Amino acid sequence: MLRSKPLPAASLHVVLALLDGELHGYALMRRVEDLSGGAVRMGPGTLYGTLNRLVEGGLIEETTDRSPRTDNERRRYYDLTPNGRAVALDELRRLQTLVHRTAGHLPGAAPA
Amino acid sequence: MSSHPRTLGAYRLAVRLYPKRFRDEYGPDLVGLVTDQLREEPTWRVLGRTTVDLALTVPTRHLEAHMSRSATTLVPVIFGAVALSAVVVGVTVGHPSVLLACLAVAVIAVSLALVATHRARPLTEPRPTTRNWWKLLGGGAFVLAVLIATTTATGELPDGAWFVAMVTGLTALVLIGAGIVLGIAHLASRANRSTAA
Repeated sequence: MLRSKPLPAASLHVVLALLDGELHGYALMRRVEDLSGGAVRMGPGTLYGTLNRLVEGGLIEETTDRSPRTDNERRRYYDLTPNGRAVALDELRRLQTLVHRTAGHLPGAAPA
Repeated sequence: MSSHPRTLGAYRLAVRLYPKRFRDEYGPDLVGLVTDQLREEPTWRVLGRTTVDLALTVPTRHLEAHMSRSATTLVPVIFGAVALSAVVVGVTVGHPSVLLACLAVAVIAVSLALVATHRARPLTEPRPTTRNWWKLLGGGAFVLAVLIATTTATGELPDGAWFVAMVTGLTALVLIGAGIVLGIAHLASRANRSTAA
């Protein structure tokens, strides 16, 4: 089931970061930072609070035990659920439309 | 082995500021993430970011936990107590119009209690609120007993004193009602736990 309301900023960054596949907490934090060009730096409490809400909302799930890990330390991995992937792609399309329409109205922009 | 034992020790202590359920679920992950950060970034930067993060997220997590608790127990209990008190007042006064009004209040309160219970998430662990049912019941009974003793001893009360006595009596009834509702909820949750065990 898709959401009609846009996701909050932190949740949006997390689901977009997970579009490439599962990640653990630190890798996810770095991925969000990388995707946003360094503009968004999530702290530990923000990241895990967001993950908690997304897990409860059924958009992501823990995948730690799904495949064997080579990490020496125990890390928890997260990935999008099918519903979460649909929501992430929907959000991506919404942002693309927003950018496209906004750019079309800027002074000096070529008509779309 | 980490090369920042003091920083991590301080952060481990700070994690205790989060609500119990959140830190039980994510405490080791929070510390693990800061450990990863300290390996790759300057300590001052990690400390600064983590301090700001704690200041922003600790109150937020507590607010979320509080709102979750309110949704599960407090709201239905309050409406249940109001309904019970309305019935007691209506029956005690005995006048048909008062009884009708009190029954209407009770029906509305019970409906709101049911809606609040339906909207609440299922309980996964015993709520500490229900353990205090006897304090409310005892407190309400005590206030009511004092009120009855006082009004009986003083005889006829002036108008202003009657108003105070009325408000005190209603408060005592609401406390007793809340105690009874919480007591039933407490006994029910204990029965559920023993069945599950």
